[in-house]
Amino acid sequence: MDIVRFEPSANEGAGRALPVSSVANFFEAATALAAKQFCRKRSALLHPAGYEVDEGDLLELARAGGAIVFSFSDVLSERGFRRSILISKMRLLLSACRKRGTGFVFVTLAKSANEFRSARELSAFAFVLGATDVERKEAEKKLRNLVEK
Amino acid sequence: MRPTERFKRRYISFSLSLSGKPPAYSEAKEMVHSHFLSFFGESGVSSLAFKLVKYDAQSGRGILRCERSRTDEAILCMACLSEWKGASCRLEPLSTSGTIKRL
Repeated sequence: MDIVRFEPSANEGAGRALPVSSVANFFEAATALAAKQFCRKRSALLHPAGYEVDEGDLLELARAGGAIVFSFSDVLSERGFRRSILISKMRLLLSACRKRGTGFVFVTLAKSANEFRSARELSAFAFVLGATDVERKEAEKKLRNLVEK
Repeated sequence: MRPTERFKRRYISFSLSLSGKPPAYSEAKEMVHSHFLSFFGESGVSSLAFKLVKYDAQSGRGILRCERSRTDEAILCMACLSEWKGASCRLEPLSTSGTIKRL
């Protein structure tokens, strides 16, 4: 399962992807301050643009049953040194999520069919960020559960 | 060197397209090599045991080799290739195996 930013069609191999507009509990936060207000919402899927969230907010998100969204298209849109900084920020946030017991999910958030990636590639993305095999499976389950809410 | 002391290898089959068409061998080789070098750096590529084993310019399919414990990193690197000299491209991993024969 995946969340994307365009209207997916089965012809493009994106039949199992959901557009962002159809996921009611998906929130995007431009800053850590903006993320604060979404952390209290029940079962929220929070995508922090800069991957900077306070640890207290992560705790609140964990209590509300929400999850942090790690997007592959964010990595794809950056190049060189900026890409390495972004991956580093994602690694830190994932380890903070683990420490606070907050859930996390891995999606592409693709803007077009060209940015769409397979489940194997998303799994490799999760591995590079430091997620274990068990956490990767948990993330898939969590995404399915939260999207259905 | 004994076989147990060598790199444990994995082979990844892939499909490569540049603006929707498979590129020629020389261009594909340059594309893959420079992308891996930019992603991993010189030290990273050497420890990755990376090699472009085979590439068929007709179908755009090929095989590359990497170190067993770093297969996921190699797959992420392949997934990160989306543009080459201003044109859109895609390096899609298809399957992974310990032998070329089973791919």
